Amino acid sequence: MPRKYDAIIVGGGHNGLVCAAYLAKAGKSVLVLERRHVLGGAAVTEELHPGFKFSVFAYVVSLFRPHIIRELNLARHGLEIIPLEASFLPLPDGDSLCRWADPQLTRREIERFSKKDAEVYAEFGQTMMKMAFFAKSIIDHPAPDPTSRKLSELLKMLGLAKRFKSLGSDLTYLHLKMLTMSALDFLDMWFESDVLKAPMSVSGIIGTFLGVRSPGTAYVLLHHYMGEIDGAFRSWGFAKGGMGRVSLAVASAALEFGTEIRTEAPVRQFLIKNNSCKGVVLENGDELEAKAVFSSLDPNRTFMRLVGPMHLDPEFRQQIRRYKLRGSSGKVNLALDRFPEFACRPGAGPHLRGDVAIAPSTQYLEKAYDQAKYGEFSERPYLNIVIPSLVDPSLAPPGKHILSAFVQYAPYHRDGGPQTWPKHREAFGDAVVDTIAEYCPNIKESILYRQVLTPFDIEQMTGLSEGNIFQGELSMEQMLFLRPAPGWARYRSPIRNLWMCGSANHPGGGVMGAPGELAAKTYLGTVR
Amino acid sequence: MTKEKTRYDAVVIGAGHNGLTTAALLAKKGRKVLVVERRDSIGGLAASEEFYKDYRAPAILHSTTSVRERVVRKLNLRKFGLEMDATPPPVFSPHTENRGLLLHYDPEKAYDEIARFSKHDAERYADYRKFIGKVRRFINSVFDDTPPDLASGGRRDLWRMVMKGVAFQRLGKKTMMELFRIGPMSVADWLDEWFETDLLKASLAGPAIYGSFTGPRSPGSAFNLLLWECAQGPAVKGGAPVLVRALEEAARELGVTILKGVRVFRINVSEGRSSGVTLENSQEIPARVVAASCDPKTTFLDLVESREISESLEHRMRHFRSFGTTAKVNVALSSRIDFDDRKGEVVEFIRIGESLNDLERAFDAVKYGRISERPVLDIYVPTFQNKDFAPKGHAVFSVLFHFAPYELRGGWNQAERDSLAEKVIETLSYYARGIEDSIEACRVLSPQDIETDFGTTQGHIYHGEHAIDQMLVRPLPECSQYKTPISGLYLCGSGSHPGGGLTCAPGELAARSILASS
Repeated sequence: MPRKYDAIIVGGGHNGLVCAAYLAKAGKSVLVLERRHVLGGAAVTEELHPGFKFSVFAYVVSLFRPHIIRELNLARHGLEIIPLEASFLPLPDGDSLCRWADPQLTRREIERFSKKDAEVYAEFGQTMMKMAFFAKSIIDHPAPDPTSRKLSELLKMLGLAKRFKSLGSDLTYLHLKMLTMSALDFLDMWFESDVLKAPMSVSGIIGTFLGVRSPGTAYVLLHHYMGEIDGAFRSWGFAKGGMGRVSLAVASAALEFGTEIRTEAPVRQFLIKNNSCKGVVLENGDELEAKAVFSSLDPNRTFMRLVGPMHLDPEFRQQIRRYKLRGSSGKVNLALDRFPEFACRPGAGPHLRGDVAIAPSTQYLEKAYDQAKYGEFSERPYLNIVIPSLVDPSLAPPGKHILSAFVQYAPYHRDGGPQTWPKHREAFGDAVVDTIAEYCPNIKESILYRQVLTPFDIEQMTGLSEGNIFQGELSMEQMLFLRPAPGWARYRSPIRNLWMCGSANHPGGGVMGAPGELAAKTYLGTVR
Repeated sequence: MTKEKTRYDAVVIGAGHNGLTTAALLAKKGRKVLVVERRDSIGGLAASEEFYKDYRAPAILHSTTSVRERVVRKLNLRKFGLEMDATPPPVFSPHTENRGLLLHYDPEKAYDEIARFSKHDAERYADYRKFIGKVRRFINSVFDDTPPDLASGGRRDLWRMVMKGVAFQRLGKKTMMELFRIGPMSVADWLDEWFETDLLKASLAGPAIYGSFTGPRSPGSAFNLLLWECAQGPAVKGGAPVLVRALEEAARELGVTILKGVRVFRINVSEGRSSGVTLENSQEIPARVVAASCDPKTTFLDLVESREISESLEHRMRHFRSFGTTAKVNVALSSRIDFDDRKGEVVEFIRIGESLNDLERAFDAVKYGRISERPVLDIYVPTFQNKDFAPKGHAVFSVLFHFAPYELRGGWNQAERDSLAEKVIETLSYYARGIEDSIEACRVLSPQDIETDFGTTQGHIYHGEHAIDQMLVRPLPECSQYKTPISGLYLCGSGSHPGGGLTCAPGELAARSILASS
């Protein structure tokens, strides 16, 4: 007689693991099932080429909730974060702009392009912090439901409204605008220099199928600012040893609390009886029972594949069908036999100990988007490049480096269908390398190994439907109480005892751990 | 020189449809009202003009399906010759490869036309109309009423919000959730959920992007469509010119004085209170209330001296987005126009654009300061009902051209206007072969011309973009309820809630606000 678990977590990504750790910490018997041989989902470190260790997908710790690190004691489990020191923008004309952690240095850099913008930049940062601080009160709790008539919900809304009003009328107005404006229109209200606006606006489009001029992107901008706020803990950084370390630290904490973790244990389907989830069936036919099953997979995989459409009522099925995933980004990982020299600012200076943006103008970014709208990858894409071996030498052999480029746009639904991606994969990789080579002339001859990941590949490898890195677009109609479906934003699903704990749930994607934590706490009843 | 010092209760700046509405409604309550209009004719963007000898057309705006019935009733406009059709008029969307789609509002009438493309869509169209019908009353209750003051509302605002909340709750959880969801969506995503036929989607999506810096894939455009659909009603027989004439006659009968060809130089303000206006000829007109139906940027950045408004207001007003993207083309035709494969069917409203991608591509151009190669055209045929708008047997096309940027790369000049006219004719010739032989004249107004002729900043046909962040708190929170930080100065034009188009709603709500506080 096999044992019955209190909870089975399907998917050993960072959210699944966080959820497991919290449940185990509360004394539950927990089993985590991971399809691949490595834990971490999209937050993994893999040695793709001998001696070169890559954060294959996610590459920076952006929004990981500081209280999760504290509550799970992740530092003791080996999590170490190296803050990014700079954000560097090389320009095609040989100029460049570097924004540093030190505001004085940044000011001097911006002054070269606009005195006015240099003045406003600090004020902008402060305003964003204030707004992010308010937003934080939303992301650290389950989403309030404005359509509810329950007193508790109404009080919660009232509480939020009060906090909101206490921001002062100018900020509340800005906040409301921010929810629906485009990143560029929002930045236009502050800055005049395109050289500054371009690299700032890209935070608004990451992981979305939108351009910097598309309404709604200003909010995504704020979403990315929240990582920068917790004064003592600077959460924008590299995980020492690669992103896999984040997952492993959480896994280690979970194990210490008594969680059982199995890798290479793909789940074939959920056991549904009388609209209630009794457990899971593995690919090898084993049946495992549990009082509750938590899926950290995206809604498409959870409901259309593992639950099966026949167990869903038509309305919910339609809601899941129309949930927008459509991945828009790719990744190129390079092993280099030497340091990549940027022509405009040569040398392995501190300007490269952060991220490098290829976003020379807002028009460049918008053109990149236009191509994607009609089903092509951008010939000249927006890139976010990191060279983590510069700050963490353990990732590459001495003198050698790894470089990874986050690439946008690469639409999953390319012309001809997603299955045609493999035919275009290398052309896509070439476009990325050619783009880098415009700024970094020695790059081509220094490549020892190249991995090109299209959204189709990301889907195949991680299981993220349509290769969407956030398990669903972070657009307003799929946020808060609407994520992943109207009425199902509290981690429960229409199937009894089947819970959701992945990025497709409030507060959304990015390596933040919040959906996993909030799902566990909601289940345990320790959160309002 | 003025013969007598007439003291007016109110001076209304601009004799457009909103200015006239405000003026007439104030006069109806016994106020002594003067309207000053910079142009030599009345009606503003809705005026009718002889753009070519013996051919007339609406100056800019031509769709009258959103005129508020309440205004018609309050001002008794029917007495002044205004007649409404029975239902919203059908819209024809031609196609290069088939007979196109004549889309009726009523799903039963529309069924056969849509079913030629897709049975599924013909049935879904009924569901679509049903959904609009369900939310219409609530949406209109918000958009036909003074918006709540979100930032600094008092108890009354709070109460009104609560009442709206109750009405909202009555929609039921499912519909509430759905409205929250649709609001921020792109019209393309929303229509993709409903329909599969490209032409149908393109035809419906048009109004969501007209006048805005928006393509069908821009988030928030679904909100525009929702508002448009909810506001649809019967059209005014004879269109905008009939509406303007009725408003003018109603206003005059109620005792409103209208001065044409008179420009306001300044709104006089002292100690935070407006005391009237100064005209360009230096004449001062004292009045207790000034109601500006010109756009909010003109009002605050040109007519009011900058020391009278706060720096923050000025900054935010400058960033009220009003970048014009629409050109107006009036075409004089020497014969009636039949569309290919539709011989003998005469239509009044036409929308050109075959797919959402066509619409999106048309929008792409304007982002880079260019004119769309394959424009989206919103066409009204005034001669359908106004036989006297052209010589017998001739016709006029009133065309709103999307998209043409206010700031065109290389600048606007006659050559650019001519090439824009050619694009219109070329586009029309895809659907009505031989139309080029019937063209007598073509008059083009670029967004810059619209600015120069009509005084709307950046030539924006709605006085400011229809985007979620510029609605409800339109144009800015401190003047979203028509009154402004300057006491006695009110806004009553399309730059105010609920926005542009021939609705007369801002004019009416502004009048209400003025009457309530004086």
